[in-house]
Amino acid sequence: MSPKFLGIIIVMLSLAPAQLPGAETEAVRLKDLSGKVVEPLANHGQKVTVLFFLTTECPIGNRYAPEITRIVQHYKDQGVTCHAIYAHETSVEITKHQREYKLSVGALLDPELNLAKLTGATVTPEACILGPDGEILYRGRIDDRAVKYGTVRLEPRVRDLRLALDAVLAGKPVAKKFTQPIGCYISFPDPPESPLPNQEK
Amino acid sequence: MHLVQKSATILSLCLFFQPSQGAEKGSPVTFSKDIAPIIFESCTTCHRPGQIGPFSLTDYKTVKRRAKQIVEVTEERIMPPWHADPGDVVFSNDRSLTPQQISLFADWVAAGSPEGDPSETPPLPEFHGDWQIGKPDQIATMVEPFTIPAEGRDIYRHFVIPLNLDQDTWVKGAEFLPGDPEVVHHILYFLDTTGKAREYDAEDTKPGFGMSKSNAGFRYIGGWDVGTQPSELPYGLRWLIPKGSDLVVQIHYHPSGKETTDQSSVGFHFSDEPTSRPWSIIQIPPRFGELQGIDIAAGDKEHIEKATFIIPEDCEAFAVNGHAHYLAKRMELTATFPDGSTRCLLRTTRWDFRWQEDYTFEEPVKLPAGTRLDVLISYDNSASNPNNPTIPPVGVRWGPSTTDEMGSITLAAMFDTQDQKMATHEALRIFLVNQLIDRLMEGKFGGRNKQMVQVRKLLQALDLNQDSQLSPSERIPAIDFIRNSDFMKRFGAIGFD
Repeated sequence: MSPKFLGIIIVMLSLAPAQLPGAETEAVRLKDLSGKVVEPLANHGQKVTVLFFLTTECPIGNRYAPEITRIVQHYKDQGVTCHAIYAHETSVEITKHQREYKLSVGALLDPELNLAKLTGATVTPEACILGPDGEILYRGRIDDRAVKYGTVRLEPRVRDLRLALDAVLAGKPVAKKFTQPIGCYISFPDPPESPLPNQEK
Repeated sequence: MHLVQKSATILSLCLFFQPSQGAEKGSPVTFSKDIAPIIFESCTTCHRPGQIGPFSLTDYKTVKRRAKQIVEVTEERIMPPWHADPGDVVFSNDRSLTPQQISLFADWVAAGSPEGDPSETPPLPEFHGDWQIGKPDQIATMVEPFTIPAEGRDIYRHFVIPLNLDQDTWVKGAEFLPGDPEVVHHILYFLDTTGKAREYDAEDTKPGFGMSKSNAGFRYIGGWDVGTQPSELPYGLRWLIPKGSDLVVQIHYHPSGKETTDQSSVGFHFSDEPTSRPWSIIQIPPRFGELQGIDIAAGDKEHIEKATFIIPEDCEAFAVNGHAHYLAKRMELTATFPDGSTRCLLRTTRWDFRWQEDYTFEEPVKLPAGTRLDVLISYDNSASNPNNPTIPPVGVRWGPSTTDEMGSITLAAMFDTQDQKMATHEALRIFLVNQLIDRLMEGKFGGRNKQMVQVRKLLQALDLNQDSQLSPSERIPAIDFIRNSDFMKRFGAIGFD
């Protein structure tokens, strides 16, 4: 591929609207812990969908468990549907994880990494806010407590996901649509091409 | 060109021309040949089931899944944990990877993380189960379990474990066994012969007692942190547990996201033989800097504390460690020998309170009488320091809580005679007395304590030229008086007696 052509593709990618092709979002069918098939991105009349990309053994993600549960509880009566997306684990492992960490958020198994590919999520924990038609309204960290591997602030200074959710629910634009999450990489068989640029590195 | 420079140049040329292992043309980096030997040697000790590492790195599948993260954490030298900068001394327990090893990970990922020939993968080293250096002679377990909440700030807590030894006992090694490896980060061991620790424990409603109680009266005997391989004391050295002592363990817990309990143990290996040589610790400044006058202004990005101690008797240092709290960034210990030559014995430019490491010298460092030891510790009390426990920053002084500061570097050193050791302790005590005089003259220590107010008045009377400082000659009677007064006892032991 010529460098020029590659350059055009990169420009096209960065100009692409932050919306997932409707056909693809409808097509995402995942199993929940009971084996029931769920279409998390289809429009069921929900205002907002939040995806939490998690793994059972990422210590950075695990430390977020209480905050994730609080967010789920806080927004559940405001038309926000939350899912925890696991790629690498079995439903037995996820059930144990959810019980141990008191994670009260419905889990979905995504062994094909469909949602990570569609949204551009690359690490756990990473959060993604989607509108009723699958448009991405926010993707990135839950808050800024992790500075880098091994360096964690004692308190977060900016609660990015909550700020974004509050803006969306108030009908306002999200100030910071993309943030760089820090955590354990989602292991893609082939490196994904992120459909959306990260604006903050 | 100086010899050192010259050899450094030759070394860097060698490194430059040396093809990185396994990266020659036609031989791609593979897991089995290149990666597995490094991982098994440097990572798997902790990253295996039931151990302290958060996930396992035991085979191709588990390592491949973490490949990208491994590249980042090794390039940034976050893992394996090792915080001493490369310098003038070689440490026998150095866990860091070589630049060649680190670049192999990146090459491997760039090549698509291939497995290679599985038959070439070395076998996993034989890891021990619970106790790494054999079955201990005595196992001291926390009396009751301690509950660690799902989230919140890290917890630093002392637990008192009676050892019930009816005679003085020599110890050649100790090993720590975390109850819940997911939440235990590091521990420090102390011995208490005063009964104070039991009192503190009884006053506190939860098991153990917190950091607001000073451990200054206890005798520090060592520590353990994540990834440390337990070993016996080197050179036939032993330490003594006086009969009737209580073990005090200070444990650092980091909440993991789920509520859990911990009941950790310490295993002791006893020795019939006494220590081969007298040894002790030389801490500069002594008492973790209690009388250093540490006073860091809010927002100060580079606050520097310095202390200098002249070694009074020949000794040989065999290990070093530093201690400070969250604000410290950089620390350094430099020895200037009587012949004028210098050697940096510890330098870290990325101090991290979460890791309390002991650095063991590959070869003992001879410190002849007259050797000058210079300690420098730098603190960052700005809001841009992500480790700053108080945002917005506030002024910080010396204190035992994690939001206070401390700072000193400690050498473990052996002597030929007990007299040399005692003379070194005495010199450290005089160092502390001098610091006390300075702080009292500044009005920065003692507050309204009656005894201290009296001593301050006496010191002011000795200040004949009224310059609010005591000159070396004005100081002589003051040192003599304070040294022999009762209240120096409040600062406890200065080393291992």
